[in-house]
Amino acid sequence: MRMAGTAERMAKNQKQVAISEFFEKNKHFLGFDSLTRSLITAVKEAVDNSLDACEEARILPEVRIQITKIDDKKNIVELKSEDNGPGIPQRSIEKVFGQLLFGSRFHAIRQSRGQQGIGITGVVMYSQLTTGRKTHVRSKIATEASAAIVDIGLDTRKNKATKSNETREIWELEDGSFKEHGLEITTRMKAKYQKGRQSVYQYLRMTSIVNPHADITFTDPEGQVHHWARVTERLPTKVESIKPHPHGIHLGTLQRMCSESTDSRMTVFLRNNFSGMSTRAAKELLQVAEISEKAKPKSLKPEQYRALLEAFQGERMLNNKPVKLLNPPTNCLSPIEELLIKKGLSKTIDSRFVTTMTRAPTVTQGNPYQVEVGLIFGEGMLADKPVEVLRFANRVPLMYQQGGCLLTKAIESVDWRQYGLDQAGGRGVPKGPAAILVHLASTNVQFTSEAKEALADNSEVMDETRKALLEMGRGLRKHLEKKKKMAKTQEKFELVNDIIPAIAQKSAEILGRPIPELSGSITKIMSAVIAESETLWNKETKQTDISITLFNYTSRARSYTLLASWPEREGATMENNNTGGRKEATGVWAWKLETLDPGQTYVIKFSLAGLEKGDWTDTDVFFRGSQDVIGATKMDEKLLEEIRRQEAAANGDEEEEAADEIPIEESKPLPAPEVPPPNGQQTLFGGGE
Amino acid sequence: MSRTHSNDETKIALHEVVAEMYDKIVKGEAPTMTLPVRTKTNIGFDEKLGVYKYGKKRSIRDATSLGSAKQLLRALHVVEFIEEMIDAGKSSTLREMYYISEAWGLGKFGSQNESNNLAEDLEVVTKCLREDFKLRPEEDGARMIGNLTLRERNRRGEWMRINARDDVGDSGYGVPYNVEEEKIELLEHDINFIMAIETGGMFDRLIENGFDEAYNCGLLHLKGQPARSTRRILKRMSEEWDLPVVVFLDGDPWSFRIFASIAYGAIKTAHISEYLATPSATYLGITADDIMAYDLPSDDLSPRDIEALKAELSDPRFADPWWQEQINMMLELGKKAEQQSLAKYGLDFVTDTYLPEKLADLGLA
Repeated sequence: MRMAGTAERMAKNQKQVAISEFFEKNKHFLGFDSLTRSLITAVKEAVDNSLDACEEARILPEVRIQITKIDDKKNIVELKSEDNGPGIPQRSIEKVFGQLLFGSRFHAIRQSRGQQGIGITGVVMYSQLTTGRKTHVRSKIATEASAAIVDIGLDTRKNKATKSNETREIWELEDGSFKEHGLEITTRMKAKYQKGRQSVYQYLRMTSIVNPHADITFTDPEGQVHHWARVTERLPTKVESIKPHPHGIHLGTLQRMCSESTDSRMTVFLRNNFSGMSTRAAKELLQVAEISEKAKPKSLKPEQYRALLEAFQGERMLNNKPVKLLNPPTNCLSPIEELLIKKGLSKTIDSRFVTTMTRAPTVTQGNPYQVEVGLIFGEGMLADKPVEVLRFANRVPLMYQQGGCLLTKAIESVDWRQYGLDQAGGRGVPKGPAAILVHLASTNVQFTSEAKEALADNSEVMDETRKALLEMGRGLRKHLEKKKKMAKTQEKFELVNDIIPAIAQKSAEILGRPIPELSGSITKIMSAVIAESETLWNKETKQTDISITLFNYTSRARSYTLLASWPEREGATMENNNTGGRKEATGVWAWKLETLDPGQTYVIKFSLAGLEKGDWTDTDVFFRGSQDVIGATKMDEKLLEEIRRQEAAANGDEEEEAADEIPIEESKPLPAPEVPPPNGQQTLFGGGE
Repeated sequence: MSRTHSNDETKIALHEVVAEMYDKIVKGEAPTMTLPVRTKTNIGFDEKLGVYKYGKKRSIRDATSLGSAKQLLRALHVVEFIEEMIDAGKSSTLREMYYISEAWGLGKFGSQNESNNLAEDLEVVTKCLREDFKLRPEEDGARMIGNLTLRERNRRGEWMRINARDDVGDSGYGVPYNVEEEKIELLEHDINFIMAIETGGMFDRLIENGFDEAYNCGLLHLKGQPARSTRRILKRMSEEWDLPVVVFLDGDPWSFRIFASIAYGAIKTAHISEYLATPSATYLGITADDIMAYDLPSDDLSPRDIEALKAELSDPRFADPWWQEQINMMLELGKKAEQQSLAKYGLDFVTDTYLPEKLADLGLA
């Protein structure tokens, strides 16, 4: 029942705009300007529709795209797209597929994929124009037993759909079961399938990165099947529609809103139709616009619209100050969020290091927006080529006009050299084995043109994007520094474990003398305490195994407390931690170690359960103690204090009753339990003692 | 005047290198190898020998970094390999040693260059020669033509008498890698001087034009930077026969270096300069002023050329006023010229005009 409700309600919300003729003349604006691009656009419209519909109906999407070559010489291909969305009620099919700029999204202020509903109708029209064929639609909604089947064509002059061969049929799946709900479109068009950076494959790959909740299958014209599996069961948060904010409104829109309004007076009109509008603000705006509070919106005169708009934009002021407006709510945005970007990137690009950053939502010109960035780095990508730039607006991949896009410009404006990537002159797209993802979520994405492939310049958005990139860059630098340090440590280990013993043995052999004792030389050469940590996914136990080894390569005894980060917040649990220790703060565990004599090592081992492969690949090790530890960071006590404070505050929010007690509890020094006599303790130099 | 060491002397010297490492480990320190600094900052003129030798600066290669520790381990493998060859009465080329090192595990060489350098290191430290180590170079020696007679002991151990004009073809007498007395004896000659020539093209031009007979000289093809055996035989002929040596090279910074290695000693082999260098050798051309005087077709100096010239200005071997003037002149001119640029005036110009004029300046023609 609920499913039908959703489908019907969605269909009802659609309004009509008649511009089918416009399409025929302007198909280049709409992404149908070349044979290659037309196919990508068609796939894009179908996939965007599917994902939007699933999201709205709260269904985990499964999308299948198949492209078949029909006539190679004439460049005719068939596109088949199938989803498991709510489906479209039979009587709404011709509306959804038959009219341009049809769709609730054109009028609602909300983050959505298409944003302007040229949508699937454009595909129907393009097919008809290039092959003369109708688009075959099969739709099944949950409340009906059979699926509706219909061929849709267009009368582009009357902006009306033409229906033919309408029938109903049971939708049986390959495995013999019946499809519960979903939509299938089959259409033939003049188009060309190509591989490369601008291809259907790349479009779907990018789509899967920012839609980790979707399961996407693509069968290319050669019959090869590409599958991007779902990596999270979590649907994007449901976005709320918001009313327009006065800062983002244009004169025409204002005029239309007024003339269509049935409100009896302006104060009510303003309060009902705009966000960020308090009663006080409404009164003040009308005052500076010199419009009566009791005026009827319908009967406003042209100069009054202009005055009101000027008041909105702060050009008419009250006591030399613009009328203060509240910011629009930001719950209308649905960011992908850091962890899911991580998962999305990791599933399509096989690499070791991913860092992500989601900025807090903010507002530009009355439109809420939010910037997210991600970076994946490592083997498997080309080191001497520019990094791959993955641009997205409202989870839709942007594939053309990379150079003219705000998001690219933001990347180019960062000096990536300081973060460890190559970049000639500190400007431009950096080089290195990496891919950079930038996602802008907004209720009103401003493009440079109707082609909707590049974001228009906006200094506030630019600034936010840059901030996100810089923060992410710091993460990369930290990673690279750590990697370098580890490589150095690794070298030292090779030196003392392999080379020095070999020198001792060979020189003794040549001279015919006994092999000398090595501990002195090794201590002298290393002259450091070294921590080595390893974080490995264990296939059998489905756990992440972590080991931290501390080596005392100095000539004196040392004592330390070692601390390690672990993903406690992400719901992991610590298993098999046979060396004990205690919780230092959320996500930080501590082990107080016994004195480590020269040449001794100590091994800490534990496993993390409740995580998936790739969730936790790097364990940060910290220490408390006077002598530096190579491979570990000195614990920043202030930072730890801050974590504890935040924790206390968070606990306070949840359990208001206990709020007072928490600080007292926290301030009590916890007794540090001694580590039991370590069985892992051993001497480095075999037979030395 | 042979500088070779007996097998026992060589072994003792090598063991000293090994003992330095071993003793350091016993003392609880990082193993080391001490060797002279082998750059131009550490070469000085030896008044007694008349050549440039390494000075007192020592560098210590210690096993505190992975790179140098591996070097030490490689040195040990090389020492062991040399001992094995000495005991078995065998020898090998440097290239063969590089391939043999494949079996040395952690001590294997990364490149042929590494193995060549290490062999040189050991020579410098032990004051032995690579002949003592039973290591042969890959490079073949030079070619020689002219009315001079020598004796070479062939593979069967028989002495062969060879006149480098009458008993050879157009390519001349091939100088073997070992030119010590046990292999080659200089018998007699009827020439007034020896001319060492950089390029094969010019060497062949002079032969074709009959220059050696017309001017009664011996011609020696250097093949670019001359091999040790080439420099050694030149020195022996110069000393044993008391003959003047003139050097005819391209006119560029790299030729200046070739000349320095012939006349004063090469930086890389400064430990055996007195054995390889011919202090009496004279630079005939092409000089910087030849480029102007003969209006020779020339090329612009590349940034690397300029860098090389500037480095030469501070090289002690080029400290004399004539060289300083030549180097500065070339820098000012910004040009360099090849030997063969003389062909601008025809194929015979070099033998009919250029060389006679240059030799006349030296009183040799």
